Amino acid sequence: MNKRILSLVLSLVMLALCFVGCGPAANNGDDTGADTGVDTGVVSGEKNENKVIVGNTTELAGDFRWPGFGGSSAGAADQDVNGLITGYSTMETNQGGAYVWNDTVVKSHTEEENEAGDLVVTIEINPGLLFSDGTEVKAVNYLAYVLAFSSPVSVNAGHTGMSGQAMVGYNSFAAYCGEDVAVADDAEVVPTKEFAGIRLLGDYSFSLTISAEAGYYPYYFANTYGAVTPYPLDLVLGEGVEVKDDGNGAYLTEAWYAKGADSTAEALTYAKSEHLKEARYDVTKYAFSGPYVVSEWDEGTKECTLTLNPNFAGNFEGQKPSIETIVYVKIVSETQLDQFKSGAVDILAGITGGSDTQAALAVIDESNGKFAEVHYQRAGYGKLQFECDFGPTMFESTRQAIAYVLNTSEFAQAFTGGYGTVVYGPYSPDFDMWAAVEDTIELTEYAYSVENAKQALIDGGWIYNSKGEDFVEGQTGVDAVRYRKLTAEEAEATGGVNKTYASVANTDGVEYKTVEVNGEYYMPLAINWFGTTPNDVTDMLAARLVGTDDVNALGMVIRSVTGDFDKLLGEIYREESYGYGGTPTYGMFNLATGWNSAVYDYAYNWSLDPVYFGYSSNKLFDEYDVAFPYDMTGEKLTYAEAMEASGGKLGMDYLSMAMVYNAKTTDEYNEWWGAYIERWNKLLPDIPLYSNYYFDIYNAKIQNFETSPFWSPVDALLYCTIANAQ
Amino acid sequence: MGKYILKRLGYMLVVFLILSLLMYLVYAMIPYDRARAEAENWKQVYKNDPVGFENKYQELRKELGLDQNVFVRYLGWIGVMPINGQYQGILQGDMGYSYVYDRPVQDVLAKPMRNTIFINIFATILGLGITIPLGIFCGVKRGSKRDTAVQVATIVGYSIPVFISAILFIWIFAIMLGWFPVSGMKTPGSNFTGMKKYLDELYYMALPLIVMTATSLGGMTRYVRSSMIEALSMDCIRTARAKGLREKIVIFSHAWRNALIPIITLVVGWFLSIFSGSIMIENIFGLNGMGRIYINSLTQKDFEVVLLLQMFYVIIGLMGNLVIDILYGFADPRIRVNK
Repeated sequence: MNKRILSLVLSLVMLALCFVGCGPAANNGDDTGADTGVDTGVVSGEKNENKVIVGNTTELAGDFRWPGFGGSSAGAADQDVNGLITGYSTMETNQGGAYVWNDTVVKSHTEEENEAGDLVVTIEINPGLLFSDGTEVKAVNYLAYVLAFSSPVSVNAGHTGMSGQAMVGYNSFAAYCGEDVAVADDAEVVPTKEFAGIRLLGDYSFSLTISAEAGYYPYYFANTYGAVTPYPLDLVLGEGVEVKDDGNGAYLTEAWYAKGADSTAEALTYAKSEHLKEARYDVTKYAFSGPYVVSEWDEGTKECTLTLNPNFAGNFEGQKPSIETIVYVKIVSETQLDQFKSGAVDILAGITGGSDTQAALAVIDESNGKFAEVHYQRAGYGKLQFECDFGPTMFESTRQAIAYVLNTSEFAQAFTGGYGTVVYGPYSPDFDMWAAVEDTIELTEYAYSVENAKQALIDGGWIYNSKGEDFVEGQTGVDAVRYRKLTAEEAEATGGVNKTYASVANTDGVEYKTVEVNGEYYMPLAINWFGTTPNDVTDMLAARLVGTDDVNALGMVIRSVTGDFDKLLGEIYREESYGYGGTPTYGMFNLATGWNSAVYDYAYNWSLDPVYFGYSSNKLFDEYDVAFPYDMTGEKLTYAEAMEASGGKLGMDYLSMAMVYNAKTTDEYNEWWGAYIERWNKLLPDIPLYSNYYFDIYNAKIQNFETSPFWSPVDALLYCTIANAQ
Repeated sequence: MGKYILKRLGYMLVVFLILSLLMYLVYAMIPYDRARAEAENWKQVYKNDPVGFENKYQELRKELGLDQNVFVRYLGWIGVMPINGQYQGILQGDMGYSYVYDRPVQDVLAKPMRNTIFINIFATILGLGITIPLGIFCGVKRGSKRDTAVQVATIVGYSIPVFISAILFIWIFAIMLGWFPVSGMKTPGSNFTGMKKYLDELYYMALPLIVMTATSLGGMTRYVRSSMIEALSMDCIRTARAKGLREKIVIFSHAWRNALIPIITLVVGWFLSIFSGSIMIENIFGLNGMGRIYINSLTQKDFEVVLLLQMFYVIIGLMGNLVIDILYGFADPRIRVNK
């Protein structure tokens, strides 16, 4: 009997699942039971729900309030949602990636230099701005965040606690733990309750003083430190804390610094840090300042539903959204086009690569106008990156020869399937500064030429064989490659590794290594290249560089080793904890780089001081910088003055530093920037390989959908409408 | 029996500790520095201050206990030794921290675990509901055309990798026929409640469930079949038939019980797998389950999540073995443990 009952139950379960599984293929997700069926876009003229479903292959983590919490590892999808729920910043980035003042918020602002040489940014906001819960946005809402996230309480919660680091008095404020403590007379930092560089001037006005002493002013982008965002006080501070200013600077009242139950004299903890940890992920209790509010966050399905914030007054252009609901869903890259076609998602962003792009465009072509696309060139590029402090790649001639022998136009065409191009320096064609210098800048394209490559090597001194005699083409064994005689300084560079430099992955049984002949060191033109795998770029580069006739003809050999990305980073940053063996081995890597905004600042990336190598991907010493170094404390020369003083020889460090620390106007900045790009193009610390096009495809019911490298779909949606919206 | 179980639990504790130490050592040997990865977050902040950056890195190393030797760290992770003056290990309820999700590991695992159990319970019931009767049928009707057909079908199903089957099923049932959604876990933007919400989830789970069930049929069916064939050839079955017992009684009361011993191992294994997700299925169908979080954590080197998961599976595995041993006794009194 029991068996019969069991069989019956099992049969019923299977039957029920079959019925459930074969249920309706599409519904609108409304609990009212209404079913609009499949979207027909603008073609059919049917009414469309005023809703957009955005698909993203990156998973939402629910870290919407402060993605990354002050760090740099914020999830891209979480940042998208953050962009929709956060608004009223005093400065916002525009379609070109530049910071602009938000006229919807800022009634007036002034930027003045004080007697100490600091920049004082005074801002008055418009009254009447409202959070989503109807409370008014005031000056304290802007200051609460900067104060809270400059204090040790936020550090205790896991934040970097350096939101106000550019402002006068930061160190003293950051050191204050809630009570006055005795400090030595010669102490460098005296903790203070007040943040001297932040002033609460009234209900709607405040000022921020950017510190000259700490090196944040003069700085070309100094006014971006005036970009602050308002948050509800209860979100940032919790209960019982106020923002006050008694004339010496803004501060947070005592309750902010209440100690945690486990606080000890050696390890202080703060009760409010628990509040920050909880508030960070809370999307139900606290109000929002952006165009949308999170109406539902389903952590189980990783789906976020956002609805209009009726109180939102507009972005920097006064733009308010009209689409009522935005749903952000996780999709699977392999089946994303099928989901798009079925109407499960309305927008797929960032499609790139030859086959994926072709497949996406085919969907659009076959859709009879139901789907559309917008595309733009990526603000970034895939590249070959060189180590410039040891091995053959420390020489400009080697890097140039590789650029000549690697046909980058053909490579870009092959990799992107025709949906991409090549850039000749570290820039995006969408940068305003590129537009300013495009007609006058002189860049070498390094068009494919084995002869030019060979000539570059000869000019660079690669003219010997392993015995220190003249190099003869067509030899085998260790003499198949060119050698270069090292100066004493070059031999001793980077701890003398050049004296023992040798090729790796010698699968053909030939090891090329530096040889000593009559007391002179000769380095072989054997380049150790590390690439990540699986990676199409690595495979395609190997086919073009490893053992090819062109490379052989140069008297060059490229040895390939593959591994994971952490190992690659370990080699670049020389981190033993990431698998770096303690001796620089690889001179060439393939990876990619890009920009999220037009704030272009490479200061300290080319410093001659090895202590800054952590900021340098290439470890390049520019000889021009040795002859004419940049002095942070010295006179801030104009470009013309610097050119004259240096004899027309400005190095990478000088140019990158002067670009942001000497330039005062846009024209000056562009002048430095153009010179920097030209110098970079000559020294070639990287070889840009391709700059691919990104395609954002969307349901044509979404109208006015325009994106750019710096203007994501969620930015664009503010300007969109739904055709025939219900 | 109680004494036996207690003894086994004692052994399990020892095995768990040895395995946990080995696993901890393995992950400690991987060339990856969590403090360095965390320090990268601060690089921009310390842009003009490389010395400050290095100090911050050292501070993070200390904070994470990385300045201690690996055995001290292990004991700290278990919770029997203080790290930075505090006992904060598993014994204190601190299961670790996910640096990718930036929250405690148990918070990260709660929802995926629920999703995995939700889908696996159905898959297991469906799978066993189909394979056991089918295997018995094939064992009894060995050599018949229907048996041969099932053998061919199961060997084909058994041989095709699950990711191929999944893509094939998506293409047929979601793209061509449009019966099911391609991926996802619920209707995007839906605000269903109650039974409608449940049915919507089932609708989205249906295709992965069908794939999971279909791909699991082959192995179990063949296993049950071969066990039944072996049992049906036993002397006792011949005796039962000679006594004139009805065939149903011979099959289900005599043969099936004798065939159960090897099958119990698999069946219990299936139920234990309710807690472990399918990496392939979850990734292909975009399901937020244990398999996906496991592989994501591995690739992103979120080792505290991986370690806890593996320890959880060690416990499940050890408990499973105990359950299997006890069930053997119920299936076959000859090997029942009485003390």
